[in-house]
Amino acid sequence: MKHAAIVGIATGCLMLAGSAFAVHSGVEAAAIRLKTGVAEAAKPAIAIANDAEAPYCTPAFKQVLQRVLNACGLTGGESRRGCQPADVKNLASISDDDFNALFTPLRERGAVIMFDDASEKLDDAGKALIEDRWVDRRGARYFFVVARASKTGTPEYNRSLSHKRANSVLFDISDKFKEPDLDKKVGLLWLGNEFAQLGKDYCAWNVSRKDRQCAAEAINRSAFVSWVDCQL
Amino acid sequence: MSSRTSRWPAALALVASILGLAFAASSTFDYTRHLDRQVHDLHCSFIPGAEAAQGADTACRTAMYSPYAALFRDAYWGGIPISLFAVGAFSFFAAFSLYVLLAGRNAPRRAPQFLLLAGVTPLLASIAMFAISLLKLGSICKTCAGIYISSILLAIASIAAFVVDRREARTDAFLSAASPAAPPPASPPGEVAAVPPTVIDEPSVFAPRPAGSPLLILGWLVALGLFAVTPALLYISALPSYSGYLTGCGKLEKPIESTGALLQVGPRGGQPATLFVDPLCPTCKALHQRLVAEGVFEQLDATLVLFPLDSDCNWMLDRPMHKGACLVSKAILCSEHRALSVLEWAYEEQETLLQNASSGGGLANIQAAIRQRWPGLDACIESKQTQQRLDKMLRHAVDNKLPVSTPQIFLGDTKLCDEDSDIGLAYAIHKLAPQLRQR
Repeated sequence: MKHAAIVGIATGCLMLAGSAFAVHSGVEAAAIRLKTGVAEAAKPAIAIANDAEAPYCTPAFKQVLQRVLNACGLTGGESRRGCQPADVKNLASISDDDFNALFTPLRERGAVIMFDDASEKLDDAGKALIEDRWVDRRGARYFFVVARASKTGTPEYNRSLSHKRANSVLFDISDKFKEPDLDKKVGLLWLGNEFAQLGKDYCAWNVSRKDRQCAAEAINRSAFVSWVDCQL
Repeated sequence: MSSRTSRWPAALALVASILGLAFAASSTFDYTRHLDRQVHDLHCSFIPGAEAAQGADTACRTAMYSPYAALFRDAYWGGIPISLFAVGAFSFFAAFSLYVLLAGRNAPRRAPQFLLLAGVTPLLASIAMFAISLLKLGSICKTCAGIYISSILLAIASIAAFVVDRREARTDAFLSAASPAAPPPASPPGEVAAVPPTVIDEPSVFAPRPAGSPLLILGWLVALGLFAVTPALLYISALPSYSGYLTGCGKLEKPIESTGALLQVGPRGGQPATLFVDPLCPTCKALHQRLVAEGVFEQLDATLVLFPLDSDCNWMLDRPMHKGACLVSKAILCSEHRALSVLEWAYEEQETLLQNASSGGGLANIQAAIRQRWPGLDACIESKQTQQRLDKMLRHAVDNKLPVSTPQIFLGDTKLCDEDSDIGLAYAIHKLAPQLRQR
């Protein structure tokens, strides 16, 4: 019995010591991995939530938009809003056709809101189309309004009219949706008639007056509106 | 009584103890590996020590992450795993069984009595854990089952040792009453088979088995307690400090969503919390279940932000991780005051919904399931306003520059680290929101 007791006690002590050592070692190893960051480093990187980035966001397109955003008051803390035709022409540093071509991929995403001659007043169809486009934001961060005026009239008059048309769209959105920070979402460009006039082929885009005759003069009495799915 | 006949319970107890020790050690080893706050594969197998397997460990992971896997979880990160106590206890039983096996008839009568008293305690603990596994967790992990089986074998061996000893005691009493010189008497009725005269070890000079002091039982109980507690004490002494890691996972930079697009659930005035969840994300479901099991969820004044990892509506992904999550999210948004009920339904039906979304009918299957359980939501689900609201929720994640992953939970504006959302959950909640009472 004596020998059995000794063997039992020795075995018990060995097992207890072994278990305790294994447990202690396991915890210490985990503590070392924790402190040295070895385990943390092995973790895969996770993407950070960001704005949408559509295939049409080419470097040239983003460069123009970024310049517009910086200069027209959408980024930073400036109180200034919108860009005048001269600004856009200088900022874009590209020809009229190239400027318009940048917006071609937005044909389906955007819409052309049409106005009466010498008027900045939105009709019901225009308001409905603005609402339709506005609520379809998805992952876009900026909503661009590119207002135009036809070549009829003086440049000063057209510049002013174009400005009013851009504001009409902004006010309509503001009244209807009452969203805060709207000025940080909506970028306004008013082009007058000096830069980037639209050709007749733009009549085939998603226009607000589908039932009316569309010509080059009419399509430039407009405001092109669209969310832009680019990380800017 | 033949020593070979009387020793089989001790041999069985030894085998059961070693088996139990192996399973308990395997479970403890898995637990300690997770103390680095990372997720590791588990040794979830009927063969203790078999290679860790990825994905085949759901039941073991459920058990390990449950509030029942450890003690003092709000005092120590991860708590003290109960398998650690089993390691110490089975070590003791292995040594004690070996002693009884070697000592044979020389072991005092107190030994089988103690074995009966203490040897069934692992079984009682196993019965309790089995009931919890079945009723609360809904699954039984293989390693746990290994411990249950070991406990049953140990209990059988303990009872058998006691029964055999009682028979021996009666025989001893009978032999003592007879003269040492006299021939062995005929066996009393009912004991012929158990104690045949031909198998008596020492018929000529009869030495009755010693009873032993009652203090022996007390001593062995103390030893058992020491064995059970020592590994736990060493475990605690080796634990690193986790408090510095808890608040290092970021803050909610813009907690307010100004258009009111987010959902409010839970009691007003409770602990403010913001939860970014995907209704078809299994990890979200698991975290939700853990928060409910801890009794924490019901105390949260929670802002719910749906963050479906489904490219159907989430522009941050180029392919769906959880197909159908956008549709289910819209159903939740359309339910407003019963939003939490719909979310919990989605968690319950998650596997079926995910399977259905990937099968032939695709999203139509999801739509049918929603229509059947929550009728009248179709028009709302398809409306642009609902899409817009979901966009705003996703934009809330963008505005806060959050990782594209779910779940994410913020207590106040402090993010609960992903690493603290499983075995460290109770500790992290206790530190980040001490006013929350946990079960």
